[in-house]
Amino acid sequence: MAATAAGRVLTLCRQFQTGLRFSSALYIQQSTISLARLTHCALRLTPSSFVETHVGIATQRRSLHTSQSRMGLNEFFDLPENWGEPTVKSGAPWTAKQLRTKSNEDLHKLWYVLLKEKNMLLTIEQEAKRQRLSMPSPERLKKVERSMIRLDTVVKEREDAIRLLQTGQERARPGAWRRNIFGFTYWYKFKEFAIPWYMNQRYKRKRFFTPQFVNPFIRLRLEKHLREKIREKRAERSRQRKLMGKISKQSAKA
Amino acid sequence: MARRALYPLFQMGNPQLRVFRPNFFLTLVRPGKELPPDTVQFRIPMEMTKCDVRNYLENIYNVPVGAVRTRIQYCTNKKRNHLNQRVKRPDYKVAYVQLAQQQTFEFPDIFPKKDGKPEEGSAEEMQQMFLDDEKQRQKPDPRRGGVTEWFGL
Repeated sequence: MAATAAGRVLTLCRQFQTGLRFSSALYIQQSTISLARLTHCALRLTPSSFVETHVGIATQRRSLHTSQSRMGLNEFFDLPENWGEPTVKSGAPWTAKQLRTKSNEDLHKLWYVLLKEKNMLLTIEQEAKRQRLSMPSPERLKKVERSMIRLDTVVKEREDAIRLLQTGQERARPGAWRRNIFGFTYWYKFKEFAIPWYMNQRYKRKRFFTPQFVNPFIRLRLEKHLREKIREKRAERSRQRKLMGKISKQSAKA
Repeated sequence: MARRALYPLFQMGNPQLRVFRPNFFLTLVRPGKELPPDTVQFRIPMEMTKCDVRNYLENIYNVPVGAVRTRIQYCTNKKRNHLNQRVKRPDYKVAYVQLAQQQTFEFPDIFPKKDGKPEEGSAEEMQQMFLDDEKQRQKPDPRRGGVTEWFGL
């Protein structure tokens, strides 16, 4: 039944929370195994010799933190006992407050858990669309998306704090207010170039200034804008006046 | 690589560019036309390349990838909205991933028909019983032999 299987992400989130407490100190390999137990992954293990050998090679080679993955492509589907169920139980999405208590490593592991969950839900959604059925518990997608957005904001907060401490830069991508040739002021984002600016012909062709002869046109633009504003205001006022006239006439009749 | 990410300009000697939180989402779809048993069809974001698909599946899902082929599916532009304006359905990229090491994949039936026997004493069962009872009541009198209600005294 769905209740026993319990929708994976969000119950998993809770379990993950408890699981991480003791897994963070261990190696990735061990932590993923401990996660496997928590996420009922044993149910979905496919007894193929290839999978184990491949996992062995992969874990030696990579330093990337990904969550437990033994089932290969079966991870794109829900647990088999949830197949055909009209609803699948799931918990609440992760809140930013909960995520702020986690270490960076745990957050990145959680990102991969959520990523796989979202892939799975998208697959189910597409298959349901194709068979013209309703997707079981479609609110899970939104919950996963929210968790991912919150996780992203938490990681960005930390990056910001480190950047402010180390370099004093307020933004990840620095920029400045500049004026263009038409007299508009806009936020110019800085870009990396392979050569210094004075050698960069294409950059030097750009004009970040407003020449004198543009000033009358800026003034005309301003006047046009103000005139539009005034016209709108006048139209609104006349509309109000007409409406008031109608209302007073009706009330006089009655 | 990830969607909408700005990477530092690569120069010789710099460390390799890394993605810490990839924001690519794949959808495994049932192939419309029959495919060889070792080929899997995905819908992938437009920005994703063949190399990205290979790295994604090998590193995140531990799936051995033999070859990846992609194409872009043009979606219909014929739909009209209530103002009779054309509405474009977004295009998407399709990836055909050929698995290595004699792996085969068949899309499972994830919506099997279950005979809906609700649990004993649950609200659903009560509702079902009530509905059956009502249906029984609505049935015409069998002694009339199918003659309509309004006919006769």
